[in-house]
Parts: sequence; structure tokens; C-alpha cells
Amino acid sequence: MAKTDTSKRLNELRMKHGRPPASPSEPKAEKPDTLREAQPRFRGLESGHRACQGCGEALAARLVMESAGPDVMVANATGCLEVFTTPWPQSAWRVPWIHSLFENSAAVASGMEAAMKAKGKNTKILSFGGDGATYDIGFQSLSGMLERHHNVLYVTYDNEAYMNTGIQRSSSTPHAATTTTSPAGKERMGKRHLKKDLLSIIAAHHIPYAASASVAYPQDLQRKVRYAMGVEGPTFLVIHSPCPLGWRHDSALTIEVARRAVQCGLFPLVELERGALTNIMPIREPRPVRDYLELQGRFAHLFNEKDYRAQEELDHLQALADHNMDIYGLRGDGLDPVDSTGMSHVRRGGPLMEGR
Amino acid sequence: MTQITRGTWAEAGTSLDFKTGNWRSTQRPVHIHAKAPCHAACPAGEDQQAWFAELQLGHAEDAWRSLVAANPLPGVTGRVCPHPCESACNRVQLDGALAIHNVERWLGDEAVAQGWDYPVAAPADNAPVVAIVGAGPGGLSAAYHCVRLGMRAEIFEALPEAGGLLRSAIPPTRLPRAALDAELNRLLDLPGITLNLRQRLGRDISVDDLRERFSAVLLSPGCEMPKHWSVKGAVPADLHEGLALLRDFMDHGALPEAAKGDVIVHGGGNTAMDICRIMKRAGAKSVTLITASGLPGPNTAPDDLINVVPRELEEALEEGIEIIDHATVSRLIMKGSRVTGVEIVALKKEKGKDGRKRRVEFEGTERVISVDMVVPCVGEQVSPEAFEGLLDGAYFWPDNPHGRIGERVFAIGDARGSRGTVAAAIGDGRIAAEAVAAELAGEADPVTDARPEMGFDGLNTAYYAGSARVPVAKLPVPERTFDAEIEGGISRAEALAEAQRCLSCGNCLACDNCWTMCPDNAVIKTVEMASDGSHYVFDYDYCKGCGLCTEECPTGFIQSVPETS
Repeated sequence: MAKTDTSKRLNELRMKHGRPPASPSEPKAEKPDTLREAQPRFRGLESGHRACQGCGEALAARLVMESAGPDVMVANATGCLEVFTTPWPQSAWRVPWIHSLFENSAAVASGMEAAMKAKGKNTKILSFGGDGATYDIGFQSLSGMLERHHNVLYVTYDNEAYMNTGIQRSSSTPHAATTTTSPAGKERMGKRHLKKDLLSIIAAHHIPYAASASVAYPQDLQRKVRYAMGVEGPTFLVIHSPCPLGWRHDSALTIEVARRAVQCGLFPLVELERGALTNIMPIREPRPVRDYLELQGRFAHLFNEKDYRAQEELDHLQALADHNMDIYGLRGDGLDPVDSTGMSHVRRGGPLMEGR
Repeated sequence: MTQITRGTWAEAGTSLDFKTGNWRSTQRPVHIHAKAPCHAACPAGEDQQAWFAELQLGHAEDAWRSLVAANPLPGVTGRVCPHPCESACNRVQLDGALAIHNVERWLGDEAVAQGWDYPVAAPADNAPVVAIVGAGPGGLSAAYHCVRLGMRAEIFEALPEAGGLLRSAIPPTRLPRAALDAELNRLLDLPGITLNLRQRLGRDISVDDLRERFSAVLLSPGCEMPKHWSVKGAVPADLHEGLALLRDFMDHGALPEAAKGDVIVHGGGNTAMDICRIMKRAGAKSVTLITASGLPGPNTAPDDLINVVPRELEEALEEGIEIIDHATVSRLIMKGSRVTGVEIVALKKEKGKDGRKRRVEFEGTERVISVDMVVPCVGEQVSPEAFEGLLDGAYFWPDNPHGRIGERVFAIGDARGSRGTVAAAIGDGRIAAEAVAAELAGEADPVTDARPEMGFDGLNTAYYAGSARVPVAKLPVPERTFDAEIEGGISRAEALAEAQRCLSCGNCLACDNCWTMCPDNAVIKTVEMASDGSHYVFDYDYCKGCGLCTEECPTGFIQSVPETS
């Protein structure tokens, strides 16, 4: 009796998460031959891709695929992720994957979703893009997809500039960062304008779920992916993904840089449902933005003590961080296991959060 | 043809054909089991990190087994050791060192209460027999390790009871006799250990005789003879030397009449501290310790610090012992042959011409204190009888780490000259037993553990949850007697919670950070669940050498080493 109950429940769960029950005629998975194949996680993005050393985007995409796969299809915009994962004739992807243009990943994903729906399949469509493809070039197709309410998870890997073409500023580049098209010098202290508040624009589409995540908090990131996978309708995730090359920091410091961005308040981790703020990651001990900026060459000009503008820009960035803390209410009170400090804690045998 | 089904996934990405491992130009990650600083600092050679790892999994008995692989007497050392492991603990720089000695004591007591078996097998009937002189901590440890290594041990002890200075010189307030006897008896009951009591070297047996009869001889006689003490040639007629006084008191509970008045103790070790506190408790009007060393403070150099168990010093001050630091007795004021006062003078260790530190008395700082009794407590040496030709001055001073002072003859513990703690004697016992086993097997001496030590800078502390050290109850001053143990114990729950504070310095926590955070999928798990570092491997075919895993490893177990082609 117990056995039938279990399999019934299992089938219910499979339906809920978009995976119909396996038919008896389906072949069983073969026994893995190598250690790599026996990894206890889904490897949607395999090794051998050509990302730079310490690439935050490669890490973020790997984490997303682990939590989303295997029953997914990906539409990928032009950008680093597309280029480094699919150098002809090879591919690092282990799911159906389509690349068309820079500006139309959301439009392609919309079509894929419609096709799946027409065929009566529950395969979830993922749409991937960098900040250039999302904040700038593919913005209108994204807006259209959200408005038409397609059942698609859109993930943007935010490394805050056009890294693939050689570090040009995007509308996601933070204020005062130096790029090849917003160089710091006599005239300007890096980028003159502010980072676009994309999440608020996305929230204005009144979609079921939108969130920000960071590679420094993989458990939090993967929880958000799993949550979005269970939502019927358009969902949106922006993942802060440091770029050692473009941000000019040591490749070993990718996680540390991302962690400090969260802890100083410049990259708030929040969740929005139907446009309303439903969850935040509180900051246990806010760090000064200086701690975050000093690790990166793109902000080196802010530490030139001979330039009077440097302090002014540092203060400006601090004020932007403080503003984030105020509008999202990020200041934690007391010890919290899911705040910016507690969330990363580990114990023998794994991350601390897993046992809770 | 392989059929790819919905709900499963595609074949391996073909990018696997492209080995990004050849991008590594400067560094590659490797697993390095470094020594945790507690382990490096432990004179007994315990690996505290290793047994805390077992406790973190809730395996108390395995933790105890791991502990007694080095130290068979955790219930004793958990009570009497000055715990250099806690001073070295990297957690000092976060929120306080681990309460290592409290947990060690709990494990020792738990083993007695639960009757856990020592992890040793009975030695073979024809196993070599090793003679051990002295049943103090060093001799007992040596006997235990001989049995552990498959030999038999025959102990010769001059006194009617085993225990050495644990019984004769450490007050029950620090080491209750019930706890001592329980652990000692369990050890002595092990198969392969024979204890011969009332056998004094030089009277009943001799070193040459033992050498002839046994496969090896381990000398662990301890230091019984007080060092000569006088002040500029003057010695009071009714001199009571500290250790003798302590032994007499522990034997029959009486102190001389003069101990009711003002007492000065001259010295700066645990014996001096014990005698101070016993005399105060026995009703001395005042007890003052004169020591050449410094008291703990922000400006005290480590080599200047008074050499006592830190909590003992704290308790002594609570009990009203006065301490005059950086001072010495410069003159005895005598009425006939009786002391009525002492002149003390301030001093400091200063560097001399040859760079070695010497004690300099400062003229003009003399003061006179009137006293009824002066107790010197300036250290002890080996009784020279029966050791002709083996001693180098007051001690054995072996010139090798194993304590070898002759063919198949080894020295252990305080008698070596460079020791001074129970833990060091226990460590000597193990090292000597291992050297004997190697020598009898015709092998070279065992090499000492030369692994590097993991300092605080090698850790990534972003991954450790903050938690305060377990508070331990202490008997309030008015309730302290000659017998009741002053420091309280901790509970099982407290011990397990304290274990969770261990940072696992230099040794894998199996936290999955490297596996989770590698952008290139180049960290492979060999089994799904594990609790130590045995199950991650680097796939150097794809590792690009970014160094991210090295940076994000909390314990420093992953280190970057230069890439060699």
C-alpha cells in the first residue's frame, strides 16, 4: 500500500514541476562510466568551455543549470556566455540550446514556449542574456515576453559591461566605473551615469516573480531558481557575476568581490512577487563600499588621493549603497541565519543551511 | 543508437574534448593536510582537530579513540594541562579559543563511565618486553604505547602506588583522586602491562640489570630532588622546600607551625602556585609569591610570562594570594637560625653582551618584608643515585628527539631536563615507545611530523558562524576546600556544541565550497556524502588555475602551488 502511495505522490510532484511520469518503456539511465558522469548533480553546463579563469558568469550559469535541469531548453542571447560555451564545432551544453541574435533571446524563448505548449509538453524554457542583451539591446523583446505572460524563466548574468567585445559601458555599468568607453581621466571619473534600476522596471510588468541573486551565495541563488521553476508564468532573475578581466581583479577573488558587493549594499538581494517586495537578504554588518571598490581595478581612480574628485565619487557610491539599504530595508537586526553573513556559513559535511 | 528521452539529458557536452587544463600557467590547486596549531602546540602529540572532527559528527567514542591514539590519559590532562593548544587555537582571533581542555576532560570521564575499550590488542606471548622505570605519566604512557605497538611492558615503581607526581604533587582540587584512579586502573588493567611496586632503582634493581633482562629500558624517574636553594649562602635551619612540603601535606595533611603566619613562597611554577593556595587555605595569615617572571598582560613577552596554568593563576588571585612579579629574594633576615624577614629586590631579564638574557637586580629597589616562613620552590632535579654515567649534570639531556641516551635506553619526561608538563611526559612516552619498536625491528628512527602549520591567515573566516566559548562553572572561593575539585565539568550537549566551534584548520570540512564554486566544473566528488577531505579530486584536465577554490576554502586545506610543466 505504501508503495503505491509513494509512486502516486511522486507522479503528482512530477506533474507539478513539469515532468510527466516516466513511461515503463522509457530506457533506464545507464550506469555511469566515469566519476564525472557520477556526480550527484545535473551538469547542464560541462567543462571545456572557454570562459576566462575565475569567470563569475560561467559559475552562475552552471549553478542555474544544476537547479533548473534537466527538462529545460535554453534560448541564449549573444554575449560571453554564448561565445565561450559554443566554439564551433563543440558545445558545453547538455540541453537543447538556441542562439539567434543579441536582441531577441526573449522573443525566441517566447516562440519555444508557444511551441512546447502547442505540443502539450511541460518543458520549461530558460532565456539567458548578459546585462548588455538585457538592460540595453534585448530590452524590448524582454518587456514583450513579460507582457505576453510566457512561461519562461529569464536569467540575466550581470557583469556590468559588454565584456565580450572588450569592456564597453552598458546601462548596467555602475556609476564611476571605468570601461573602454567610459574611461577615467581628466574629464570624467569613469561612467558618468547611474546603473539602471532594471528590477523596478521588471517589477512594473506585474510578473509573478522577479529576484536578484549573487554568485557569492550559491544556496540562495539555487533556491531562487528552484522557486522560479515552480512558477507558471514569466519569472526573472538577475545574477551579479563578477568579471575578473573587465573589473580588473584577481581571478581568485570572484566570490569575495561578489560577497562584498552584497555586504556593502550596492547589490541588494531581493525578491519581488507581482511587483511587491516579498523578501530581502538582510545585511548583518554593512561594510563600507570602499571595501568592495578597492579590490577592483575599474575603480582604482577613486583611490587617487591627489584627485579631489575621488573622495566625492566614493561618497556618492556610499550614498547609493545607503539608499539601497533604506528603500529595501536591508539593515538586519541581530543574528539571522539567512542574512549576508549567516547564509554562507558551513559546517562539516556541507552548507549550514541545508540541514534546516 | 542511444535513445535520448524527455526528462533525461543529452550526451556529455562535446566541449569535454577541449582540455582547458593547459591554460594553467602559474598555479594549480592541491590538497594539503596542514597541521592545526592546536596539534602543533600539543606536547603530548594529540591531534585535537582530528578528534574534534569526530565529535562534530556526534561520534564521541571515535573521538576518544582518536585522542587516546596519542594520549591515554585525557581525564588527567584535561584537568592538569596548561593547554598550550588553547593558546595556539586560531579561534582566539575570532571569538575565543575552543575549550579544548574541558572537552578533553569530558571525553576522558565519559570513556570511564561508558567503559570504552582502549584501541589496543593483547600482545603476542613472545612479544619483546620493555622495562619502564617509574609509573608516573611518562612511564604509564610509554607502557601503553609499547602495548599499542605490539610489545609488552614491565613497570618498576619505587612507591606503593602508581601515578608518580599526579598522585604525590598535584592537589585533589585540581585532580580528584577518584578521576585519577579510574583512568590509571583502566590503563594498568590492559593486557601486556605488568606493574611492580616498591622496586626502587639502585636498591632493588639496576639499569644494567634491566638492560640485560629486557629488550629495552625506558627511564622515567621524574625529578624528586629539590634544587639547592640559598640566599647569598644563607639557609634557614628549619627550611621546608616546596615540593617536599606539598608531598608531606598530601600524605598526612599537616603543615609546620610557622605556616600559620606570614609566608613567602619563592618560585614561579605550578608547584609554587599549589603550595601558595594550600597554605592560604590552611589558614596562613598572608601568602606572597615572589617570582622573577611577569604576570599576564598586554606588554608581557611570552618568554617572560609566569609558567603556570592560566586558570590556576586566576583562581589564586581570587583566593587572595599576593604576587610580587619581576622580583627576587636578595637577603634573608635571620634571628639566630630562624627567618624573621626577607629583603626583596626588583629585577628584569635584560640582554647581555652575548645576546643571552640574564637577570639584572635593580639597586635602590630593595624592601624588607617581615615573615614567619620562606618556602623555596625553584625546581627539582633527578636523584642521581643509580644513574651513574647516564646523567649530564642534573638531568639526562638526550641529544635526539626520541630521548635515546644509550643503546636501547631512553629517557622520558621531566628527567630529560627540557620538559615540565604532564603532557610532555606523555608525549615522550609515545615517542620513546615508537623509537624502541623501530629499533627492535631494525628500522630507522621514526621521523617527526614535518607538515606545515595552518595559521589564521590561511583561513577564510567568512564561512564560520560566530559562537561564544562554553562557560564553565567554578567553585566559589568560600566553598573551596582541600578536596573538592574547583573547575566544573561540561555536559555532553555542551561538549558537542563546543566541537562545532572547531575551525578544522588545515583539514577538510567537506563543506562542498570547492565543488559548488568551481566555474569550470573541475572539482569532482568521488562519493556523494562524506565528512572529511578524502572525496574531492581536482580534474586537472579542465582546471584553469584561477585560484577561486583556494580562496574560498574555509580551512586552508586547498592551497595553490606553482604550476610545473
